[in-house]
Amino acid sequence: MIVHVNGALLRFTDYRRVISVAAPTVEAALIKLADEYQPLRTVLFDRRGRPRATHRIFLNGELLKPDQLASPAGDTDSVELLLAISGG
Amino acid sequence: MPRWSCYEIPVDTGLFTPLGLQPTAVCRLGFNAAGRWLGQHAISHRRLVAEHRTGLVVWSAQLAFDEPVGFFDADCLQMRVTARVRGAGTQLECVVEVGGPLDARARLQACCVPLRLEGDPALSGIPARLGPEVMAAFRPDEIESPPHRSPVPALRIAVVRDGTAQAQGRMSFVIRRHQCEVADQWFWPEAVSLAAGAREELVQAEAERVPLLLSALRTPVRRLDLLFNRPFFLFDEGAVRSSAYEWEGRLVFIHELVGSDKDQPRALVTEQFSLPKERAWD
Repeated sequence: MIVHVNGALLRFTDYRRVISVAAPTVEAALIKLADEYQPLRTVLFDRRGRPRATHRIFLNGELLKPDQLASPAGDTDSVELLLAISGG
Repeated sequence: MPRWSCYEIPVDTGLFTPLGLQPTAVCRLGFNAAGRWLGQHAISHRRLVAEHRTGLVVWSAQLAFDEPVGFFDADCLQMRVTARVRGAGTQLECVVEVGGPLDARARLQACCVPLRLEGDPALSGIPARLGPEVMAAFRPDEIESPPHRSPVPALRIAVVRDGTAQAQGRMSFVIRRHQCEVADQWFWPEAVSLAAGAREELVQAEAERVPLLLSALRTPVRRLDLLFNRPFFLFDEGAVRSSAYEWEGRLVFIHELVGSDKDQPRALVTEQFSLPKERAWD
């Protein structure tokens, strides 16, 4: 699937905005993405390995709830990662 | 008595326009002043973030100018700042006065929403009440129960309902890194800069048809109100949708800052200018 990375997350993907990831589900894609871009791991996942609630994850424009991250997704599906707010 | 911090800063030409203090500069100085107050009287901004996992995001701000202060008025600006907790720990409000040697000329009131930070390098967080260890740093008279309510929604309704529409415009922008803070999120005073830029474009485009608009270039802004919905981040694309009205003897600009995706509202900025009593073009 095609993962779109935005804004405050860009520095954790070496400023790559569009990344192709081969994975069967959205969650698997995020894990694979974090394997490829190690600094992203602690940003995307908490200590228990769960995606942090501070991120908004969209599949083809639809906001996913945490229990929907196991949704299957194909090569042409689009996933968008957004950080809702940060506290600098 | 709530505690105040008072100090002075030397003026430099970059803080001013020919019309007086730059509103964006006042917002930047004001945010820095709030950080100074926190460091002197409560917990420094750095420690709030690093040790207490508490971030602060400006949600609402009002900036009012009395008589303009100019670069040649004094060697230093007098800064006065205080802060208080409101809404049972859901808001931190700062009041900053900037003035010349004798009196305050500009007053900034900024209301921040505390965030509980996740602890990750992106400084991601969710809105939360201030923790008890942070609340303990404030005196009882620096804690106020009623929350701050933004005047912007009611002002916007009144201006659109009762004012006379003059002109409309749209200006696109991309958020660059020099417009961001430490987390690659836009620094809130940029909303003032973007709104002012959009207003200047609108005036230049429409002043021949609507000469009244020139007041917004000839005279300094008297009052600014800001309300934030969602932040912009690095490289986000957006637009300022500006509308100008004559309302209650004032020239008022309503600027909607929207994301490029479906024009999602991110912030609302209103600027008010005094109108001359006699207008040569009437």
